[in-house]
Amino acid sequence: MKQPGVLVTRRHHLLVRWSHWLNVPIVLGLILSGISIYWASPIYQHKPDPITGNFDLAADIGIWICDHVPGLHRYSSPPDWVYNHMSLGPGMLAVALRLHWLCAYAFMLNGAVYVAGLIAGGGWRGLLPRRTDLFDALRMFRYYIGFPLAKLVRRQWPHPSSNTKYNALQRAAYFTIPIAGFLSVTTGWAIHKPMQFHSLAAIFGGFDATRVWHFWLMWVFILFVVPHVTLVFADRWDTLRGMITGSSARVMRPEVTADEH
Amino acid sequence: MSTKNRGFFGERPLPTFEVDSQLLHRRTRRDLLLFGAGTMAALAGARSLLPHALRVALRIDDEVAESLYSPRRMVPTYTKSQITQLKNNYNGATPDPSYIPGWHVTLDGLASGLSVALDIRNLMTRFSIHEQITRLVCVEGWSAVAWWAGLRFDDLLRAYPPASQARWVRVESSVNLDSSGNPDPYYVSIDLATARHPQTLLATHLNGQPLTVEHGAPLRLMVPVKLGLKNVKAITGLTYVAQEPRDYWAERGYSHYDGI
Repeated sequence: MKQPGVLVTRRHHLLVRWSHWLNVPIVLGLILSGISIYWASPIYQHKPDPITGNFDLAADIGIWICDHVPGLHRYSSPPDWVYNHMSLGPGMLAVALRLHWLCAYAFMLNGAVYVAGLIAGGGWRGLLPRRTDLFDALRMFRYYIGFPLAKLVRRQWPHPSSNTKYNALQRAAYFTIPIAGFLSVTTGWAIHKPMQFHSLAAIFGGFDATRVWHFWLMWVFILFVVPHVTLVFADRWDTLRGMITGSSARVMRPEVTADEH
Repeated sequence: MSTKNRGFFGERPLPTFEVDSQLLHRRTRRDLLLFGAGTMAALAGARSLLPHALRVALRIDDEVAESLYSPRRMVPTYTKSQITQLKNNYNGATPDPSYIPGWHVTLDGLASGLSVALDIRNLMTRFSIHEQITRLVCVEGWSAVAWWAGLRFDDLLRAYPPASQARWVRVESSVNLDSSGNPDPYYVSIDLATARHPQTLLATHLNGQPLTVEHGAPLRLMVPVKLGLKNVKAITGLTYVAQEPRDYWAERGYSHYDGI
């Protein structure tokens, strides 16, 4: 007996999916090696501590963590805690630089693949901001903030309706991240080749200021990834499947209100 | 979403298909298995390929640095008000200044076939002294704007031409020490094109004063198109060679050319 057909949509072009998943090891490699490079000359320094000689804010954070987190009081080298857990480790500059170049070249190639996929699949249109986005983003924000509380008191908490591929908050995030990627590459070149590309560094306020830009652009990625991954899993199966197989069973019917979930 | 007035930038409805549910199920399972297999293969491949890939990346980056170099492209210069503190970043212990009175630099690999020794007075009287305020960039990430004076490496190359087949110069300091204070000769490779750059100096002065022992008295290399680690302090030997010479930091996992 023939089963009834199901409606599916193509959400993501193959090249977009490939570049998306390749970005996982690439960006992870960039961040881990980047923090090891940061270790060699931290941006955020203070006068050396008279007793320990420490001048690095990241080392201060490690010392604080080891003082306050149960079970870490006997940690062998508190100033290295951050670097031991969020980078290749202290004193790894040579290998960190190699990994950073490898991942940086891969990141640029992968970025080109992503852009090609956005163009080939027409997906770029879904990322463009709209005039109503500010208001819609606030609605989404309210939804996310209130969601756990509503669950707790078993109240209905409907998802704000949207008849576009992404809601306003997603659109803001997915529009910002490629720009952050582009700026990371640009500031990266400016501090990697500060003599040949000195005019590039000048745009960002000179060599030292460009290092600060590059550092905070890393945080844009970190601050993006945390809610990105959390919300994909909270949204159950369909969104994740969309990025693996390209298909989604959530079909938008523009004339009807969008699906509730 | 209105289908009219969408314009070039307007979002299109996503393409929708009707698929047999069993077929969709099979395709999804196939894609998931492929995805899982791809992930496993990538993890397995990364373990064996990563060391090779890291070497290739470093090599590619060195070639990029070479292709960016132009003898006519000048590095930015600064005003005296922009000068910053320059720290002593000797990798090991700072040498005892007792080497300075008897110091000379030895030139080898010359077209004449001779070995030439020059002391600081020879250098400062025979060559015109040039000044520049440029940025020194360390591989660690810090940088400093400093006011240097010295002779152009290019002028020395003209006065004592290297052998015709020479493409490189090995720049050496025999007074360098390791962190325990034991002799640890320091040597870097510089290609002759970089040595001939008009802003490549053999510096004798920093901030209007003769170089101190911390900054490589009496003669150091000041090559602003390279990372600080190529800017050898207390140069004792310059050897012109045809093949790329050994480089202290390249042997310790850093790049070969360090062009910035």
